[in-house]
Amino acid sequence: MFNETPSGGSAHGEMLDILARARPERLKHHAETLLTDMGEISVVANRTGLVMVPMRDTVQNVDFHLGEVLVSEAHITDPAGHTGYGMVTGRDLERAMAMAVIDLSVAARGEDAATAQFLVEEKAHQAHADAERMRQVEATRVEMETF
Amino acid sequence: MAYVATRGGEKAIEQAERLFRQDLGTIDAARVETIRSTMPYLIDRVMGEASLYDEELAALALAQTGGELSEAVLVLRAWRTTQPRLAISRPVQQHEILTQRRISAAFKDIPGGQILGPTLDYSHRVLATDVLEGKPFAPPEVDKAASPAPAQQPSLAEWQRQQGLVAPANASDVAPEDIPDLTREPLLFPASRAHRLQSLARAETGGVLALGYAAMRGYGNAHPTVNELRIGEANVVVRHPRGTEFSAGRVRVSQAEVTSKEKGGYLELGFAATFGWNEVKVIAAATLDLNSDEAPVGSAVHEEFYLYHTESVEASGFCIHFKLPHYVTFQSILDAMRDAKAKKAAAEAKGETYVAEPEEEPAL
Repeated sequence: MFNETPSGGSAHGEMLDILARARPERLKHHAETLLTDMGEISVVANRTGLVMVPMRDTVQNVDFHLGEVLVSEAHITDPAGHTGYGMVTGRDLERAMAMAVIDLSVAARGEDAATAQFLVEEKAHQAHADAERMRQVEATRVEMETF
Repeated sequence: MAYVATRGGEKAIEQAERLFRQDLGTIDAARVETIRSTMPYLIDRVMGEASLYDEELAALALAQTGGELSEAVLVLRAWRTTQPRLAISRPVQQHEILTQRRISAAFKDIPGGQILGPTLDYSHRVLATDVLEGKPFAPPEVDKAASPAPAQQPSLAEWQRQQGLVAPANASDVAPEDIPDLTREPLLFPASRAHRLQSLARAETGGVLALGYAAMRGYGNAHPTVNELRIGEANVVVRHPRGTEFSAGRVRVSQAEVTSKEKGGYLELGFAATFGWNEVKVIAAATLDLNSDEAPVGSAVHEEFYLYHTESVEASGFCIHFKLPHYVTFQSILDAMRDAKAKKAAAEAKGETYVAEPEEEPAL
């Protein structure tokens, strides 16, 4: 049950990583295109809440709580019992629901071509943004010398 | 404890609040977004002290309190209590942080190298008054490196441990739901390390700086050197109902290790971390952690002293409560003064020496 791969798609964990960071408007638009073919959906939860984030101290390896992060969560099911789930940082219930709709679609029907394309594009966009930022960071690398 | 109700003040109280809010003007989404997008370090500070990470809410709290930090932290902490806790994430580990700044003042050649990241450490601090003359300041672009910095950097403390410089530490075996949590249990002394570090993570920056600075200047027992300072972004890793781990997003975090001297054959280290990018706070807090073990009771570096006195909401709340009506308490002090004067006058009239009764401190 850990990092399972749903039928016909990217690794589940990687897909969820991409969806949670996907550009909000594109995410919502793609979910809406899927909804038309998905039939009845039951909403188990669609709410804001908190996730407590622990951190590991590097001196004694003690885990402690850093604080709580506001998240939006959506949990939906279809009549066949498939689950769709979305959780994103911040206060945007539509974004969480859009993530859950895409997750449910993949769980129930496998990854369709449009979703696969969406995931490829968003992954590339995120990787590019990270790479550009880290190229700027790399420009600040310093070699210390002792005089 | 004795207070009196203020009768007849309802209208004045309402007008006082109106006056406060009128001075701030209309608060709309555009103002909140401007604060959020232009003051990231202020937002980080408020989120860290509120122990609630959400940039938009922190900006709103600043907007509606006019930037009064203790009030902003208070409203965020209060709002937090309206929300259910949905999960506890996988613990953030240092080597998993998307590291954007990492320096060491103790070792110049650290594994992974030193990266200055976004900082003004080596720059002149000059107020750009030209902006007020109608000349906007447009920052020059960074000359990007050909290839990106590694997303993750190794743990310096772990490397030092492998070199025999830092004491071995047992692997953590506490389930996330069993980690001590100050939001659900009281702070008791001696505090667990988990409570101490959580309390420092949410402590008031100015308070931590003042007490940490006192230790640095000599009122502590250890002078710090920054072993490693790291700022970056950590994934909030949660579980899908089917068990899959994934990141729901990233949060900005700061962490510092400071070292002082050898103890028992190893370098002594202090540690602190917080939400947001707040270097001053984590260096000062790590200094307090470093000084704790041998701190004299009652000193500024004793954990009971610094944890109690850097808790933002309690400290600011206690301080400002003194402006609330204390008429009954103060009246009793006046009564005691008058009684003492009368007894002294009566004694002197009889040619006797008046000896005052021992005073009892009134409860406030």
